[in-house]
Amino acid sequence: MVEKQTTGHHVDRSICAWFWHQYNHHRNNDQMSVVTSPTHYLFPLIRHGIIFLACTQLELPPLLPIEFLSRFADILSDYLCAGSGAGATLNEDIVKDNFVIVYEVLDEMMDNGFPLTTEPNLLKDIVLPPNLVTKVLHAVTGNSSPSVGPTLPHAAASTVPWRSTHPKTTTNEVYVNLVEQLDASVNRDGNLRRCQVYGEIQVNSSLPGFPDLTLSFTNPSLLNDVRFHPCVRFRPWESSQVLSFVPPDGHFKLMTYRVKELKKIPIYVKPQLTSDSGNCRISALVGVRNDPGKTIDSIIVEFQLPPCITSADLTSNHGTVDILADKTCRWSIGQIPKDKLPSLSGNLVLEPGLDRLHVAPTFQVRFKIMGIAMSGLQIDKLDVKNMPANPYKGFRAQTQAGDYEFRS
Amino acid sequence: MAPPVSTPKSASPSQPSGKSEVTDLKLQLRQLAGSRAPGADDAKRDLFKRVISCMTVGIDVSPAFSEMVMCSATSDVVLKKMCYLYVGNYARCNPDLALLTINFLQKDCHDQDPTIRGLALRSLCSLRVQNLVEYLVAPLAAGLKDHSSYVRTVAAIGVLKLYHISATMCHDSDFPAALKALMLSDPDAQVVANCLYSLLEIWTQDAANSDEAAREIEALYGKSIIYYLLNRIKDFSEWAQCLVLDLVSKYIPSDNNEIFDMMNLLEDRLQHANGAVVLATIKVFLHLTMSMTDVHQQVYERIKAPLLTLVGAGSPEQSYAVLCHLHLLVMRAPMLFSSDYKHFYCQFSDPSYVKKLKLEMLTAIANESNTYEIVTELCEYAGNVDVPIARESIRAVGKIALQQYDVNAIVDRLLQFLEMEKDYVTAETLVLVKDLLRKYPQWSHDCIAVVGNISSNSIQEPKAKAALIWMLGEYSQDMMDAPYVLESLVENWEEEHSPEVRLHLLTAVMKCFFKRAPETQKALGAALAAGLADNNQDVHDRALFYYRLLQYDVAVAERVVNPPKQAVSVFADTQSSEIKDRIFDEFNSLSVVYQKPSYLFTDKEHRGPFEFSEDLSNLAIGGDSGDDVIHSAQRYEENDKDLLLSTSDKEENGGPTHNGSSTYSAPSDVNSSTSLVSSSTTQPAAFAIDDLLGLGVLDTPALPPLPALSLNAKPVLDPGTFQKKWGQLTVSSSQESTLSIQGVASLTAPQSLIKHMQNNSIQCIASGGQPPNYKFFFFAQKEGSSSFFLVECIVNTASAKAQIKIKADDASASDAFASLFQSALSNFGSS
Repeated sequence: MVEKQTTGHHVDRSICAWFWHQYNHHRNNDQMSVVTSPTHYLFPLIRHGIIFLACTQLELPPLLPIEFLSRFADILSDYLCAGSGAGATLNEDIVKDNFVIVYEVLDEMMDNGFPLTTEPNLLKDIVLPPNLVTKVLHAVTGNSSPSVGPTLPHAAASTVPWRSTHPKTTTNEVYVNLVEQLDASVNRDGNLRRCQVYGEIQVNSSLPGFPDLTLSFTNPSLLNDVRFHPCVRFRPWESSQVLSFVPPDGHFKLMTYRVKELKKIPIYVKPQLTSDSGNCRISALVGVRNDPGKTIDSIIVEFQLPPCITSADLTSNHGTVDILADKTCRWSIGQIPKDKLPSLSGNLVLEPGLDRLHVAPTFQVRFKIMGIAMSGLQIDKLDVKNMPANPYKGFRAQTQAGDYEFRS
Repeated sequence: MAPPVSTPKSASPSQPSGKSEVTDLKLQLRQLAGSRAPGADDAKRDLFKRVISCMTVGIDVSPAFSEMVMCSATSDVVLKKMCYLYVGNYARCNPDLALLTINFLQKDCHDQDPTIRGLALRSLCSLRVQNLVEYLVAPLAAGLKDHSSYVRTVAAIGVLKLYHISATMCHDSDFPAALKALMLSDPDAQVVANCLYSLLEIWTQDAANSDEAAREIEALYGKSIIYYLLNRIKDFSEWAQCLVLDLVSKYIPSDNNEIFDMMNLLEDRLQHANGAVVLATIKVFLHLTMSMTDVHQQVYERIKAPLLTLVGAGSPEQSYAVLCHLHLLVMRAPMLFSSDYKHFYCQFSDPSYVKKLKLEMLTAIANESNTYEIVTELCEYAGNVDVPIARESIRAVGKIALQQYDVNAIVDRLLQFLEMEKDYVTAETLVLVKDLLRKYPQWSHDCIAVVGNISSNSIQEPKAKAALIWMLGEYSQDMMDAPYVLESLVENWEEEHSPEVRLHLLTAVMKCFFKRAPETQKALGAALAAGLADNNQDVHDRALFYYRLLQYDVAVAERVVNPPKQAVSVFADTQSSEIKDRIFDEFNSLSVVYQKPSYLFTDKEHRGPFEFSEDLSNLAIGGDSGDDVIHSAQRYEENDKDLLLSTSDKEENGGPTHNGSSTYSAPSDVNSSTSLVSSSTTQPAAFAIDDLLGLGVLDTPALPPLPALSLNAKPVLDPGTFQKKWGQLTVSSSQESTLSIQGVASLTAPQSLIKHMQNNSIQCIASGGQPPNYKFFFFAQKEGSSSFFLVECIVNTASAKAQIKIKADDASASDAFASLFQSALSNFGSS
């Protein structure tokens, strides 16, 4: 438990105990958003199994604490996980090992209950992240180098607060990554009920000096609504739908967007359930529809077995079927083979006394398609100005399933 | 140096090693304290880390305070930071020892490095020890003038911290003025934002006591400052933008051009990556255009897309908060969202509270064009694994049907639900079919055919059973076996646990009797006998009532129990529109998430202290509740009026419904028409009942005795006039009265007494105080005349005494009013 009292009113730690009790109590019916305790309003945010909790007694815009907490969680994992290798996520042990860093970061991010510095680049100038180099150094020399920057960043006074003014050794490259998430629901008759795409443009920039980038799309009219990183200039977007910006250093989210209704989905599931006299036959077929032109990877079909089922016997002709502890049935398919359609079949035994299955499970599908954005959004070109040498530019695209579900 | 006594708070039993560990740490710290050896800093650093880890897991390491302070004489920044952290945590419980730290903190405030200056200043201000305040002033003043913007940002917030420790010290040093100057001139946006933040809090709290602060606050909302901030809005950090936007939303522009200028300036904020900024901007837009209907509509169109994106893209916590706001807007303008219905479809992975909101929105936006789609979708949820949601969606289908779109298809679907043979689906559907039949009697044939096939034994839920029984009674002429079904139900009277069902059974048997007397006679006899023997008072009374009615005259009984009914046109809304408007005013606040205006859930003290002074000149609320302070006095009055309106509205809504047998059958909601506004008041039968009931009611002592003096139920008096009158008039009557014990018990908040007095036609214009002392100013108006009575009432809940001072326009009536007021006061809590 890391606590930070921000205002003069002391909030007792017991509030956490109260919250924990409530949390465990309500875990099953997930009634958690803004919680009212007898004395405070609590904003819980759960990331990687760690609960971030903000308390207030005042009326305030609810998104303020929620956004702040999620920003804090992002920054913390950025700080603490970058050093411990790729793919690491925040966990209790990491936080425990780095209490001091957590306090330092929090101290800079908030003063007296009002958010202060939340730009990762700025923060990293004030509080140095514990990276591999310092760790190695520490191990070799037994000397820990200071985790605090020697000087204050002056960017705070500059017009582009997100970009640090200290020239760092850079590799002179910029990567643009389109990541899309496809949400779709298909009803039991196989009709597409809704389908939409949320996308992000992630940029990883490592450019020296003060670069000025312009990113344009071949088909910007697809976009239904967009949100920008503060570095994006609004006027050029208004007039000609191009993104003009001075990028921060490192990894950041340039833009998030939503795309209007799509009519096509890449993959389908045909579930069938028939039940009588205490048994339920289940079968499901998975296939590709509207071939996207790239391989569809890591396909997983999941569904929740209804509570009234006592035992299940499921087999598939491709991939593996597991039944997890919480009665989730997971069918890992991977890629769809060329010669056959993957199918799952089996028998479910209902609770004694039940004749027919009354509830219909929903099949959720997860997959990944590399190299294509399902919305059809395409990057036209990326111009870099204000640069001594032409940098290396890299583009990637990826689509993954979000809430992709088939009802039965 | 004796170690301070440890606070019992953190002597946790789960950390048995805590004590020895602390002693150990102390010892080691002591050894290192004076050391200037080359490796000492590293050793200290490790020790400090251990101390802080202990502190974080809840071990009380405050005994090591003096050792920590001794070790803190260092040039190492990391050590300093850890030390500040430690000191900040424990200074409050060791004020004496905290004095030790002042020295090195003050020294650090003059350090070369701005980081250290800033950190030291922040820690110094965070000590929050009363007797150290004097040491704060000089470093703060220097900090505000520091050439590093980092130090200035820290100092700006530091002033606020000082204010909270000692407001007078803050004012004596003239810090607010310095902050204001800094706010208007500093090149660094973060400094400006922090100054603004501090000033807002300081002046809002002061506004109650000082005119000057109130004027300053007013100036903050004035054109020049608002424009200054707006022009720099892009420089601010996202959080500061939220603060500024919140300020702007309270600004009242002088003309339409100004409004459009502001909106053009802020338009791109809608595309900010931070949801809080987007929502704050939306609030500004909505408030600016409140008076321009057509532009207001355009604003809805404009903000739709960002909101929908926010819902879909954020974390579940964010999306819920945004969804609540969207819900509010959808409820206000369902038409505008009718083409976006697909966004409100539920996802399997949505948490159930999100699904619930979405269902409500789908219900609201259903219209001719999309009903088919929406109902098809809702019907799919009926098979949902999540039973509460399945129920909720069936209810939603019913509500859409009641909105009169595409009823034909919906009735068919509802009837299909009945064939699904799931207990809860059948139960929900029955309740709905019953409601539908009340609105669309023309569908009775189709429905009855299906409902007739349902076995009453298979239904367990009281509400559904009551609905089925109501239909059996109402349509007994069309259902062949109705009398026999009812008869078997009567036979199982003992096993029926819900009084609601038994009440309905009585009424249904009566209705059936009037239509098919020979077949039902036996069941009726049994039902009346069982009802008379029933333990439940309501059931017993109703049985007795029916019995005597039948004895008196069967024809009259029929007119009473089974009058011809008119179809229900509108079902009453549960939340009054005033409340909805108020929530809308508080857009982008917790009110929206709770779906309640803030005065219903925040404590008074956190809404802002509503101070009350004798001459009423400073009626104002302050604090951070976000209420407009300039207009607070009027606002507050509106607030009270809202309360008044909403309660009296409810009564008005409720008024006409209390007709027919429904007044009598208070617990029922099926029989004819509780909970709905029906037009059947005009029915002669209903009059008959009113008379009958009137006889009964007259004897009951529930109504207070009518006094000779009657008061205007809704007098209007603004605070200004009240104040003037109060000054002009002399006290005509001064009394002391005693409160009943129940009254004291229910006076946990001023609001309860205010409501009670409103019910007695005495309005509250202002109230304040903390338990046990409350102070109220009431007023009332004589019916049919313009003469007012003004009352000052000071209640002490500890002694249960109330001191009343009355001033009256018409002094002759003041005694009558005084006794009326006293009787109202003494009734408080008992009614």
